[in-house]
Amino acid sequence: MAWELLLWLLAFVGVIALVALDAYQLICLSDLESDFINPYDSSSRINAVVIPEFIVQGSLCSLFLLTWQLIPFIIMAPITYYHVQLFRKRKHLMDVTEIFRQIDEQKKSRMVKLAFYFTMFILVIYRLVVCAVTFIIDEDDSPLVSGVY
Amino acid sequence: MQPAADKIGNTPGRPTSFIPATPTPQNPSPFISSGPVVGFHASGTSQPHSPFIPTSPIVGSGTSSVYGAPSLSSGSMAVPDSSRMPPPIRFSGMANNPSLGNTKQDTSTFLPPQAPRFPSTAHSVPPLISTTQAGQPIMPPPVPFRPPQIVPPLTATPQTVSPVMPPPMPIHPPGQMSSMPMSQPSQPPLQSSLPATRAPPQPPLQGEYGVLPGGSVPQSPVNMRFSAPSSVSQLPSQAYPATHIPGVQSHFPIYQGSLATQPPSMGSVGFTSREQMQYPSVAPPLGSSLQGLVEEFQSISLASTPGSLDPGLDARSLPRPLDNYYEEPISIREKYPLNCHPRYLRLTTHAIPSSQSLLARWHLPLGIVVHPLAELSEEVVPIVNFGSAGIVRCRRCRTYINPYVTFTDAGRKWRCNVCALINDVPGEYFCALDANGRRCDLEQRPELTKGSIEFVAPTEYMVRPPMPPLYFFLIDVSVSSVRNGLLEAVAQTIKSCLDDLLGFPRTQIGFLTFDSTLHFYNLKASLLQPQMMVVSDLEDIFLPLPDDLLVNLSDSRHVVDALLDSLPSMFQDNANLESAFGPALKASFQVMSQLGGKLLVFQSTLPSVGVGRLRLRGDDLRVYGTDKEHNLRIPEDPFYKQMAAEFTKNQIAVDIFSLSEKYSDIATLGTLAKYTGGQVYYYPSFKAEVFQEKLRHELTRDLTRETAWEAVMRIRCSKGVRFTTYHGHFMLRSADLLALPAVDSDKAFAMQLSLEETLLTTQVVYFQVALLYTSSSGERRIRAHTTAVPVVPDLAEMYRQADNGAIISLLSRLAIENSLSNKLDDARQIIQLKIVKSLKEYRNLYAVQHRLSGRLIFPESLKLLPLYALCLCKSAALRGGFADASLDERCAAGYSMMILPIRRLLKLLYPTLTRADGLFTKANDAEESLKLLPLTAGSLDSRGLFSFDDGFSIVIWIGQMLPTDTIYKMFGVDLLMFPDISKVPFCDQDNEVTRKIKKLLQASRNEDPSYYQLIHLVRQGEQPRESILLLSRLVEDQVAGASNYSDWILQIHRQSQGP
Repeated sequence: MAWELLLWLLAFVGVIALVALDAYQLICLSDLESDFINPYDSSSRINAVVIPEFIVQGSLCSLFLLTWQLIPFIIMAPITYYHVQLFRKRKHLMDVTEIFRQIDEQKKSRMVKLAFYFTMFILVIYRLVVCAVTFIIDEDDSPLVSGVY
Repeated sequence: MQPAADKIGNTPGRPTSFIPATPTPQNPSPFISSGPVVGFHASGTSQPHSPFIPTSPIVGSGTSSVYGAPSLSSGSMAVPDSSRMPPPIRFSGMANNPSLGNTKQDTSTFLPPQAPRFPSTAHSVPPLISTTQAGQPIMPPPVPFRPPQIVPPLTATPQTVSPVMPPPMPIHPPGQMSSMPMSQPSQPPLQSSLPATRAPPQPPLQGEYGVLPGGSVPQSPVNMRFSAPSSVSQLPSQAYPATHIPGVQSHFPIYQGSLATQPPSMGSVGFTSREQMQYPSVAPPLGSSLQGLVEEFQSISLASTPGSLDPGLDARSLPRPLDNYYEEPISIREKYPLNCHPRYLRLTTHAIPSSQSLLARWHLPLGIVVHPLAELSEEVVPIVNFGSAGIVRCRRCRTYINPYVTFTDAGRKWRCNVCALINDVPGEYFCALDANGRRCDLEQRPELTKGSIEFVAPTEYMVRPPMPPLYFFLIDVSVSSVRNGLLEAVAQTIKSCLDDLLGFPRTQIGFLTFDSTLHFYNLKASLLQPQMMVVSDLEDIFLPLPDDLLVNLSDSRHVVDALLDSLPSMFQDNANLESAFGPALKASFQVMSQLGGKLLVFQSTLPSVGVGRLRLRGDDLRVYGTDKEHNLRIPEDPFYKQMAAEFTKNQIAVDIFSLSEKYSDIATLGTLAKYTGGQVYYYPSFKAEVFQEKLRHELTRDLTRETAWEAVMRIRCSKGVRFTTYHGHFMLRSADLLALPAVDSDKAFAMQLSLEETLLTTQVVYFQVALLYTSSSGERRIRAHTTAVPVVPDLAEMYRQADNGAIISLLSRLAIENSLSNKLDDARQIIQLKIVKSLKEYRNLYAVQHRLSGRLIFPESLKLLPLYALCLCKSAALRGGFADASLDERCAAGYSMMILPIRRLLKLLYPTLTRADGLFTKANDAEESLKLLPLTAGSLDSRGLFSFDDGFSIVIWIGQMLPTDTIYKMFGVDLLMFPDISKVPFCDQDNEVTRKIKKLLQASRNEDPSYYQLIHLVRQGEQPRESILLLSRLVEDQVAGASNYSDWILQIHRQSQGP
């Protein structure tokens, strides 16, 4: 049971990271839109976190697959596919020269991703709590069991 | 459905606003409420000075001057309760006198400017005067059939709003006659806005007042204000007769008659004619409207059987730009004398649609083509220095002061024309107003009288001291560059330009040459000879010297001269095949990053070493037509985009001179120019002996034309309109700020507009282009071009004001950008689709009623649009497929079309073809022989000598049967002896013939100095050169798999006829 708790703890951290990274990119984009930062800063900030996001997302997805957690895996798989496609087309990084033309599209895709991540977040929290509770109950139970019997 | 809904939604508004004001219960029907007035006028013709009479001319005198008797009857028909008529008359007669006294002071404000200016068209004037005190002409809403809606702008002036509210109430209850004097005070204001029109009340007109859809008169101003937006929303007036009161329909025939009698030249004010011209558009087919049609649109007669083999289309009668091909919409300036010259700023249609639904029906792009530094011989942009006062700008929207601002509060405040904010006039700038509300010093203030102005910017407009003009030359010295003579030609040209470089004595200069290594040059003034330093570490670029790579030209002139003299010989034995272009770019960046400036790249080998390596591509036939086709036209390596972004950030502009004999990946290299405000010069299969002149001329032009350094450009516009996309060579630094490290007179920019609100409530939209830059003399300047554009509620007016050149310019930029993400074929399809849709929409405006089947109808303003669209599809950037143009040629053409000003673009698309042999055979009628000919093979005559000029090159086509003595005089040799005609010495001889030809060539070159037309000689029947150079460029013929002109027209006609 401990490994499962560990898995959900890991997933919890990972999903929080994903949400944070994605939200950060969105903030950069909307800041750019409202002219708080220049396109150079905006794109370099976004580009700095794109690869970390991909890695975290990819490893979480494969973790779910390996541990055969199908539902979270199914939620994550489309994003993984999307990321792989972007990476293969070399379109994963913001293009500073065209950033203003792409801004709407980019924001939209990140919003969608954020929605997925939030779904994951809720799911992970639920599973984490369930796991933790059963784990604690089990912990509590075992001495009780041994004590009684 | 929408217009009708609007209309209905609007009308009930009138009674509701009445009712609270009326003490006695009233009939709430909208028509009733307006009815009495109609009736009143109909019967009240004997009262020339009743307060209502004067009001009507505002609304109707112009439109209805011929209505006469029938209108009377229609008026009385429209009256539901004619029994009430008499009282109002008496009432108004009594009300007359007191009202006059009260109105005096009110009217005095508008009256003076009015009467002298527009005496004949008084009806149109009030809106102008009352809305703009400075007296600029503003388009009144061209809504001919809706006097009620025309009124609002007139009376919506703040002064009249509140007091006019009650007038209707005394009219209606007849029993209240005795209480009249009490209600009179409320009456005058109604008049107050009107007496203006009293000046020309002609007795014969009075009879017709009854015709006015009477609602206009008793309407309270509140209504008027409400209906003002509605007038804007009104779409096509076709819907109008259906929804409107029955009286309207009776207008039509009468109006038709009047149209026939009134000469079209009435349009001197630009307004009467517009109103008139609109009538045929909305009138049901009544037979006699043909004359109106002739004015309204043009048509081409086509056989009525679509698809038949014989088109019945006379190819000779098709519209062509054969005279005055670069016509500019100067006429707009007559209506808007305060606008900047259209050379600087042109809209695709000089009329902003008033609603989004109207915009949706305008299928062509809506936008602006800006050419901020255009060279204009007839006009000099005045320079204004506000000194310590600082530049006067709007506090909120930051618009610069311009001729359209209005001064109020005795000159202490000014109202921004763009955002309507009232700003304080700075103390130093204060000036009293005269009786007309104009500043007394108007004549001495060019910024208040001219649409184009240049401000000297104080230090707040600088982030650093103004930079000196800086030129850095990055020259390829690999073996191909040496062999084809590039190095020598470039070195010579630069040397010859050194005296003319801009910004003496501050000019900075530097050189870097590269093959597989980088060669830096120490040009320190104290040296006698330049020192060369070779860096071969391409991974980690470093500068061998901290400074002295960039030096002041006047200090180090002798060193620079020595370097340029020795450059060709230094590398003449170079056997290095490689090109470390990427590292060289990085090195140049490091040298220039402190100051910015202009980087001129001379490249003749595909980059092969270090970062930014490129590979050969574009030679795969199979890629064309697939989804991967566009990948050929986008940069292969993101390195170049990143470099371009870095360059722009550091105010470096890159001009690419590609002088390769082979493929040099213009698509990738061009991005450097694209995002830095640069330019791509492409010399396919460069040979110094052929191209030297062209290179020399264009490089000289590049180095010596007036350049604006470290510039940013922003275009501001009134609320409700927004710029969405920008097209050209620049980089967006924020959503609406174009960063232009260097910009000059050869670059134009285009942008597209959208409406932010579903309805525009303003009458006029203002645009102001502001270019902040450092001049070569080191002064920070702001060039501002301001223009006013009317908001129009109907599509016909948009078509009438359409600007063919601007539309084509924007369409071409869109198509080229489209070709970067789609197939060429798709890009062409989209052009065609846009043309078809717009013509279809236009057809729907007219043809349905007039049964014009078998005719392609188009607005006069867009008669050349189909032809230019065809030319665009056949231009080098977009035509055919793999075989029709090499990839480099395509991309280079695309890059130049993205920056070309409208005039040059039109010339490139539809080049000029002239017959030149008349020059020396018939000496006297030289004018005749230079007539422009249609671009079809049929224009060529084997006995003649033809010159084909597209602004980039001139092709001289020599007919087979041209007299040999003429040929001999021209070339001094017998052409048949020369196997390769391209090597024939042209016009080396000095005799009468060559002098005339030289004069001719000189004339066409002087027409536009920005490019140098290289001369290609082609003999008739000399394949394949003839077809490459000339025949494939004859756009009216069937080339590159695209149809010829008449087929194209047929095709468009057929598609635009569909449902």
